[in-house]
Amino acid sequence: MPYKLLEVDKKIPQRKNHVYVKHCSDPEDEIPDCNTKTVPGSMSERGCAFAGVKGVITGAIKDVIHVVHSPIGCTSYGYGTKRYPTTPDMPNGEKFPIENFNLKYILGTDLQESDVVFGGMKKLKKSIIEAHKEFPEATAIYTYSTCTTGLIGDDLDAVAKETSEELGIQVVAFNAPGFCGPSQSKGHHVGNLTLFENLVGTKEPLETTPYDVNLIGEYNIDGDLWIIKEYLEEMGINLLSKFTGDCSHDEICWMHRAKLSLVRCQRSATYIADLIEEKYGVPYIKVDFFSTKYCAENLRTIGKYFGLEEEAEKVIESRMEKVAPELEFYKSKLQGKRVFIFSGGPKSYHLSKPLEEELGMETVAVASQFEHKDGYEKMKSRVKEGTLIVDDPNSLEFEEIIQVYKPDLILAGVKEKYLAHKLGVPCLLIHSYENGPYMGFEGFVNLAKDMHRNIYSPVWNMLEFEEEPAVGENAEIPEDSSEKQETKPENTGELA
Amino acid sequence: MSCVNVIEKDRNVIINPLKTCQPLGAMFAVTGINKGFPIVHGSQGCSAFVRYGFARHFREPSEIAVTALHEDAAVFGGRTNLVSGIENLALRFNPDVIGIITTCSSEIIGDDVYGFADTARGNLKEKLGEAADNIEIIPINTPSFVESHYKGYDNAINALVNHLARKDEPNEKVNIIPGIINPGDIRELKHMLASMDTDGIFLTDISDPFDAPLRPSKTKEIPYYPKGGTTVDELRDSANSLGTVSICKYAGSGATSLEREHKVPSAIETPPIGLQNTDQFVRNVSKFTGNSISEELLDERGMLVDSMADNAARYLHGRKVAIYGDPDLTTGMARFVGELGMEPTMVCTGVKYPDFNPDMEKISKETGSDIDVLYGQDLRAVEVYLKENPVDLMVGNSDGRLIALDLGIPLIRMGFPVYDRVGYQRQSVLGYRGGLYLMDLITNTVLEKYYEPTHWKLQQ
Repeated sequence: MPYKLLEVDKKIPQRKNHVYVKHCSDPEDEIPDCNTKTVPGSMSERGCAFAGVKGVITGAIKDVIHVVHSPIGCTSYGYGTKRYPTTPDMPNGEKFPIENFNLKYILGTDLQESDVVFGGMKKLKKSIIEAHKEFPEATAIYTYSTCTTGLIGDDLDAVAKETSEELGIQVVAFNAPGFCGPSQSKGHHVGNLTLFENLVGTKEPLETTPYDVNLIGEYNIDGDLWIIKEYLEEMGINLLSKFTGDCSHDEICWMHRAKLSLVRCQRSATYIADLIEEKYGVPYIKVDFFSTKYCAENLRTIGKYFGLEEEAEKVIESRMEKVAPELEFYKSKLQGKRVFIFSGGPKSYHLSKPLEEELGMETVAVASQFEHKDGYEKMKSRVKEGTLIVDDPNSLEFEEIIQVYKPDLILAGVKEKYLAHKLGVPCLLIHSYENGPYMGFEGFVNLAKDMHRNIYSPVWNMLEFEEEPAVGENAEIPEDSSEKQETKPENTGELA
Repeated sequence: MSCVNVIEKDRNVIINPLKTCQPLGAMFAVTGINKGFPIVHGSQGCSAFVRYGFARHFREPSEIAVTALHEDAAVFGGRTNLVSGIENLALRFNPDVIGIITTCSSEIIGDDVYGFADTARGNLKEKLGEAADNIEIIPINTPSFVESHYKGYDNAINALVNHLARKDEPNEKVNIIPGIINPGDIRELKHMLASMDTDGIFLTDISDPFDAPLRPSKTKEIPYYPKGGTTVDELRDSANSLGTVSICKYAGSGATSLEREHKVPSAIETPPIGLQNTDQFVRNVSKFTGNSISEELLDERGMLVDSMADNAARYLHGRKVAIYGDPDLTTGMARFVGELGMEPTMVCTGVKYPDFNPDMEKISKETGSDIDVLYGQDLRAVEVYLKENPVDLMVGNSDGRLIALDLGIPLIRMGFPVYDRVGYQRQSVLGYRGGLYLMDLITNTVLEKYYEPTHWKLQQ
């Protein structure tokens, strides 16, 4: 039986279908149940749709103002949370006057009880007008519906239309209140649809080349995009539009003019690539730039598409020359280390194989907060027999996975990191990274380096006081920390 | 004549808030209970964002459950979500206290959380029998569109004492309502109480839950619970204490309830930041217990005074300071920088409360400096103000770090959240020793920024 009821889930047996152990005899379409409602009180790690749209999709855009139509919380929590650096460079060669504008400001309507009773649209309108006055340099204003405004029925589209006309600047309403959809994934979808419907096709690029691409679903976490941009530009490919890392509002408006779309994060942004293909006939390919192998493969595919095969080879060769010796070193250190990847979505399938094939690690479990069917299919196809695949794991399952699968390292988020540490297992931040970027050839070295640092940090060999330490044990950093598992005290299994 | 100039927000839109909504305060309060588990009755973001916020500030796990309201609940109500959420939590995590924390959505839908809690209690009784009686299920109303996180904290503490406090034999203890402060602060308060031979009941105590040791052999796993926190027995016993000191003026309701219901006298004051505020805290404890200030504390006070005598006039006097953040900490800090001879020329709070401006007037009179009070304002207001009115130092949370960078003003990190430096949650800014720590931090920052360029002035 491929589906597994974990011990900690005995009281919530509906979780069984979300936990799956890969077995070769299973029908191909057997995967964990996913993209369904969260079990209340289960201690899921998921976020909400608002987080999906502002936190993931639009928060990376460098030149727009965000007005969150909410009681104060959503606005406070939407402030500069993700590591999305931007340059001030605008498509017309000018500089945006405020550096790191996207990380610096968040605006909101701070709804009060009276607004909830009488409606908040007037306040939203005033707020948008004031926002424009405060930041006249911004190219557009984005406004967001939240649980409160979704429930009281404020019509954000109407306010957006009205203020757009009044201010002569585009105002876009994103209707993804927190309660919509099972996870933040719904917010990604709304973000894609809204930007497509309101922006794409409304402006023309200043110039075009035969080598124009859209890089879609790449948000420049810790500078990821800048690495990929360098490769593509060296090949002679022009990033006409990014969606949405280090991008400007206008770039999205002319995405229909690209020759090809590259979809990097396939969970959060395949939607817009599909829509652009459907309406404007721009084809897209799904790309993966994590690890040297995937990165090389995908650069070759892109090169082939544009007849730039040699250029692609040059980029690959020059980078491999640089990173191969370093990766060789890290492989020797990471060989056999057991890893549990708990990402938001696709990183679980981006990384599972490269960590095994290129770094000699063993992926013992993969999990995701909000992946859909296609993502789990890919995840399943890229892990080996016996690997655990979990949809939306909760914190008790997280603990059980640690006990049973004994990972040497966990890749997860900040909500999980410190719990893992308390249980004696190093955990590396994989959503916004630790010392990234992690993408591309150089990025993969950064990832290997960070994994190495985390696993080999001397602290993991000194967790407990010892009355009589073995002679010489403290003299050097041990080569292998696998003994940690042996010294780890047995769990009593006692319910606290 | 010194004066206070109150500047209120002149726009509707809020830009870079200095406050958040009620549920956060309640989640903080419930986390300070031993085996206490908050369950937020709202959308997933309501718990996820706060857990993220706590995790990055404290660098600790923050376990907060949520009823995960989706569209169907928005239409049909959240009864099933809350009832099953409580049951799932109780059966799998076996907590002592479940604090049900409402949100904007559950309040707007109009869910009867008290009724739903009763249903959940009944269901648990069927499943667990007598053991169900050991799980206290306490509804806390925290509508996000009313006031701020401080109100949510106040509502939570009040709900906890109203639900749990029981009159019994006098216990010779003092209740402390600490406000939204750091583990280091609570540990300093404990030290001061111990020094005055006094046992405290903290309503509530996040010191261990948010700063727990990594000791796998002692860690409670499956489920993980940090050690520490105020126990249910202690919360019950709060009705029998000698008095309640709330060091957060914005969270006095619990103290008032204990006074009204159980005749426990209360003192509601500014937090013990700096010399005179700490003196007042000591006097309050002394008033309730009859124990006078210890030699140990007098020495600690003397060390702070000594350092002030040695360094304040020489390095700090007359320097202008801008302070922003939560109202209790900014009030305490404004008075302390005044004691150091500095001028708190701008104080900004995002939270509105009637005591704030009168307190600023007192501080202005005491220090003799004019204070521009940005009342109910935001960080954008601070930024705009500071561009026109430069200061030597800023004091506040990490959210002001980019403003400080842009303006070239050194930022002393204090309050919540601090995520771009480590260790601040472990330090105390309270008490005489906290004053010393703060003063050293301020002085060293001044030396680095304003003396280092003319380094010979640092030659002794």
